[in-house]
Amino acid sequence: MAEAAITQPQVFTRRASGLVRVMSPYSAFIYNILTMGIIFPWTFLWAPAAFQGSNLILGIVFAFVFELPIALAYAWLATALPRSGGDYVFQSRVFGGGFGFTIVFAFFVVWILQWVALSGWLMAALGLAPTFFGLAAATHVHAFASIGTWCASSNGIIVISILNAFVSLVLLVSGFRNYVRFQYVMWYGILLSFGFVLLLFLTTNPTAFHAHINAFAQAVDGVKNFFGQARAAAATAGVNFHPPFYLFGTLMVAPIAWTSLQWATYSVEQGGEIKNAHVFRNQMFILVGSLAATAGLLILLAAVMNHGVGHDGVLVASSGYWLGNSKALIGGGFMVPNLMAMALTGSWIVILLIGFGFILNSFQIVCNCYIGCTRIMVAQGLDGLLPDWFSRVHPRWKTPVNAHVAYFLAAVPVIIAYNKVAGWSTKWALGVTFANGCVFVFSALAAALLPYRAKKLYEASPGAKYKVGNTPLVTILGAIGFATAVFMVGAFLVVKNLGLAYANGKVPYYVVAGTVALGLVIYAVMRAVKARRGIRVEYAFAEIPPE
Amino acid sequence: MKFWRKGKPGGEPTRIFYASDIHGSEPTYRKFLNAAKFYDVDALVFGGDLMGKLLVPVVRDGNGSWVASLQGTVRHLESPEELAAFTARLDTLGFYWFECEPDEYRTYEGNQERIDGKFDELAKHRLAEWVTLAEERLAGSHVRVYLCGGNDDTDQVLTALDEMPEDRAVHCENRVIDLDDAHTMVTIGYSTPTPWLTPRERSEEDIAAEIERVMADVSDPTRCVFNFHCPPLDSSLDTCMKLDASVWPPAPILVNRQPVYYGGGSQAVTDALERYQPLVGLHGHIHESRGSVTFGRTPAYNPGSEYGEGVLRGVIVAIRDQEVVGQQFTSG
Repeated sequence: MAEAAITQPQVFTRRASGLVRVMSPYSAFIYNILTMGIIFPWTFLWAPAAFQGSNLILGIVFAFVFELPIALAYAWLATALPRSGGDYVFQSRVFGGGFGFTIVFAFFVVWILQWVALSGWLMAALGLAPTFFGLAAATHVHAFASIGTWCASSNGIIVISILNAFVSLVLLVSGFRNYVRFQYVMWYGILLSFGFVLLLFLTTNPTAFHAHINAFAQAVDGVKNFFGQARAAAATAGVNFHPPFYLFGTLMVAPIAWTSLQWATYSVEQGGEIKNAHVFRNQMFILVGSLAATAGLLILLAAVMNHGVGHDGVLVASSGYWLGNSKALIGGGFMVPNLMAMALTGSWIVILLIGFGFILNSFQIVCNCYIGCTRIMVAQGLDGLLPDWFSRVHPRWKTPVNAHVAYFLAAVPVIIAYNKVAGWSTKWALGVTFANGCVFVFSALAAALLPYRAKKLYEASPGAKYKVGNTPLVTILGAIGFATAVFMVGAFLVVKNLGLAYANGKVPYYVVAGTVALGLVIYAVMRAVKARRGIRVEYAFAEIPPE
Repeated sequence: MKFWRKGKPGGEPTRIFYASDIHGSEPTYRKFLNAAKFYDVDALVFGGDLMGKLLVPVVRDGNGSWVASLQGTVRHLESPEELAAFTARLDTLGFYWFECEPDEYRTYEGNQERIDGKFDELAKHRLAEWVTLAEERLAGSHVRVYLCGGNDDTDQVLTALDEMPEDRAVHCENRVIDLDDAHTMVTIGYSTPTPWLTPRERSEEDIAAEIERVMADVSDPTRCVFNFHCPPLDSSLDTCMKLDASVWPPAPILVNRQPVYYGGGSQAVTDALERYQPLVGLHGHIHESRGSVTFGRTPAYNPGSEYGEGVLRGVIVAIRDQEVVGQQFTSG
């Protein structure tokens, strides 16, 4: 008699210990969305005046399409190497330690210090100032407007930025689980806030908006016919309110929107803390899912702003930011989307809810600067490329306290310079767009080369089974992602209204090159110090052949 | 021999490569052996947990194909090539496997004693092969590989280490080993009790007593390497999630939906590091707690483990006289 077939054989286990990780894929998904910053105002403040005639929605779609192969390629990297240190680990493994260290140290660890300053600016200018202006308009208590004006001033931004960074330091040092717990508060807070912004734009029209913003500006600054004056000044400053469609400008919106969407892959920096990070569908959800969700929300915001604020309103707001149109400022602050939404409601509760969400997301940005960069510093410390001191984990709090404190201290002068040094934001800070983008360029290339440069590792990964003909799918995606990322980074490098070329000089290029030189010097010094002790740092990255 | 002149004051340091917790992973073990030449070290020290954790029956279906489960997915293997690729993947993951007919498979279902017996049989066979491989690979070199069990290994399987002639592969547990003419090493593979109820767990008192027993034969602790599988308690080398042992398998304890962390190490190990101030402490056991810490003058390392990805995590330690003169974590 034939034996009955076994259709689902079990896997047998014995009494042996197991390994568990901290962060759920859903938490990592949220982390990426918050990192991409649906609150970032640049797509709406920068692009309309810088590239007049561009289509914001189409520009965001381009950014999504350009980022998609990069995010997909990262899914292969993250499942093959599910470790904390992400980009540093990928690039070190594929290109070697010297390259991986230099690129990631220079372009992430050093340049993300600018993001610490930027997150303080976001907290002050995008979160607190508009909220106080909104409260002033809703309650007619002028003291709120004065507080808002102080928040938007350089001194106010410096104080708020340092406090923002310090509170984040304390939260993260107290334990990563405390951050993960608080992340849910930030997530639901920003969702509620963003929902109100969308609803307020959706339920108004440009004519009503003009009346509301006039009343709002009068309550804050005592200005009459604010919008009429701001529109006239914008026209004088060079805004064409009836431009023809501008395809190249629309393409150039993509790099600006990419300053948000490029962070879809940031969770890889703590890959060692994500549960089942080696499972392909989890990484697709975390990386590609968060990208699609954020792009969708940005497109939705662009669409409802066009509906509620109107084309003219968007251009006037942008002229205040990009063309220095002082008539388009309210309380000294820019007409950011949340401020315009607050102007549409008379409810102080709604104003507080909108403000709360934007403040929380600003706080999350500084948290993720610390989380990502301290993990990279710990990984580099353990690899012997930074002093051991950086990699030490505090025995009580179980967190890399030294790396956190060092990063906070390094950020303080950058915060002060960002707000006090003339031209900093155009000569120095814009390098961050190019520098951060470069990390993604090289990681996309690392993905393309993974099957050839780390063959065994790749073959053991779940993505190895996906091929097109004989070519690994990750090679195709990585190559496409490399090309699209080079296009956007190249735009930051040479296009006048983007990134480094804006300053009309060589200083920004020297600054970027200087950070690379700093990385190379640190690598060379640490390599020499280790060699004197009988250790070669190259061993940290070299893969041993099993045969 | 060159090795025996190393490690003395003014001379070249002796270089040790330490790794732990490879849990049956074939390519990871092979990398471990090759690390001697690759990293140019003088000794390979293993920190315990040699045995794999899963046993995968590959059941013949009578039509020239096979069926098996892996990571929650049923795999139908239609050709010998597919079978070979699948079993190679199991070897990388550190899982044991055996081919069987459906009737034989049924004799294992629900019979833990029979499953444990099969585990021991396959694990001992693999360990014996590994010892033979070590002798072959290190033949003609001055390098020795020091092997021991951890809390996850059964005594039955570890007998494979004693049944082979010791030349290059040395069973180093519970005794004093001369690493070179200036340094010794003591090895303890036990851990404190875990929620997983693993085979070689001991109380703090028993571990402390074992340390005292073996240290009685060490003349100079400051030149001694501690190869203790279990890391020191609350040292940051032992941070892991707290698990609920009342369910099987143990599940993470969550407070406000967040896992609770604690130290899974040993107070007896902490006390020994503080009291004896050895040359260095080498530890494993907690895979996710890679790092370094110091106890007075003594550095202690846990390189962590990623055996499931075929990655050999380790640490190179250069020792000279009474000092660690260099260290480097590796991920090979």
